[in-house]
Amino acid sequence: MLLLSLGPKAWPRLSQFKPRILPRSREGEFLHAWSRNLSGQNQPRGPGLRTRLLITTLFGAGLGGAWMAAKAEKEQRQRQQRTEALRQAAVGQGDFSLLDHQGQPRCKADFRGQWVLIYFGFTHCPDICPDELEKLVQVVKQLEAEPYLPMVQPVFITVDPARDDVAAMARYVKDFHPRLLGLTGSTEQVAQVSRSYRVYYSAGPKDEDQDYIVDHSIAIYLLNPDGLFTDYYNRSRSAEQIADSVRRHMAAFHSILS
Amino acid sequence: MAAPSMKERRVCWGARDLYWQCLDEHEEDAARCGQLRSSFEASCPQQWIKYFDKRRDYLKFKEKFEAGQFQPSKSTENS
Repeated sequence: MLLLSLGPKAWPRLSQFKPRILPRSREGEFLHAWSRNLSGQNQPRGPGLRTRLLITTLFGAGLGGAWMAAKAEKEQRQRQQRTEALRQAAVGQGDFSLLDHQGQPRCKADFRGQWVLIYFGFTHCPDICPDELEKLVQVVKQLEAEPYLPMVQPVFITVDPARDDVAAMARYVKDFHPRLLGLTGSTEQVAQVSRSYRVYYSAGPKDEDQDYIVDHSIAIYLLNPDGLFTDYYNRSRSAEQIADSVRRHMAAFHSILS
Repeated sequence: MAAPSMKERRVCWGARDLYWQCLDEHEEDAARCGQLRSSFEASCPQQWIKYFDKRRDYLKFKEKFEAGQFQPSKSTENS
């Protein structure tokens, strides 16, 4: 009887106890799992991250270095190919015999030991020749502003000897640069130097005033101190680009005559 | 005849630039730029005027061509 009377009391207690136990066990499992995850993240991944960053950085640097090396090699090869092509073209071979704008005879030997920039044009040129001569003069000024560089001699050779005599050349060149040297000569002498430098030129038809324009190729030529044709620059090259190129040629130059 | 000096050259170029600017502003209607045309012709040698006129024609053609506005003639198109 006592047991029966105690029974109902005991059951409610038991029913109350069970729900408490289950949540506790779940909480424990969750905490345990969480701590495991934390330890997992900390132990294998931390150094992994640093290692991966280091490897990526080294790999990237390696790639960059390889790319820059390949690029430099390609540029070097291109320059060598251009130098060889220019050499084989054999432009500017042989001597020339012309008069400067002060009436003094000039030949190639007079420029030995100097860098020379040459432009072929004519004094009655509407726009191309003045533009190109201004560009050439800009190059000369940029280079002469650097005292450690050798002097560059600018030269203007006419392809219109019929009109561009010594006096006409003197009037023309003084507008550009005090050191711009104008060269002219007989028809045959001009033809000879133009053939040598592969310069195309052709006088157009005359008008009623006997005026005409000479069609001609547009290029600035670079000669080195040995008098050898070294490079040429067409209309699309800026003064800055030409000056950079000349500086590179100066740095790479070794005389074959000295 | 002496070649124009740098000063004379720049006067010529200036007159040409003004004339061309007028043509740009009036859609190549030369009739509306008569005064500037006269100034241009007075400032430049005749051969230069011919040269610049040809150059203008070329530049305008090039502009249209590059803009994809070039229309080949019918005979060319058919052939």
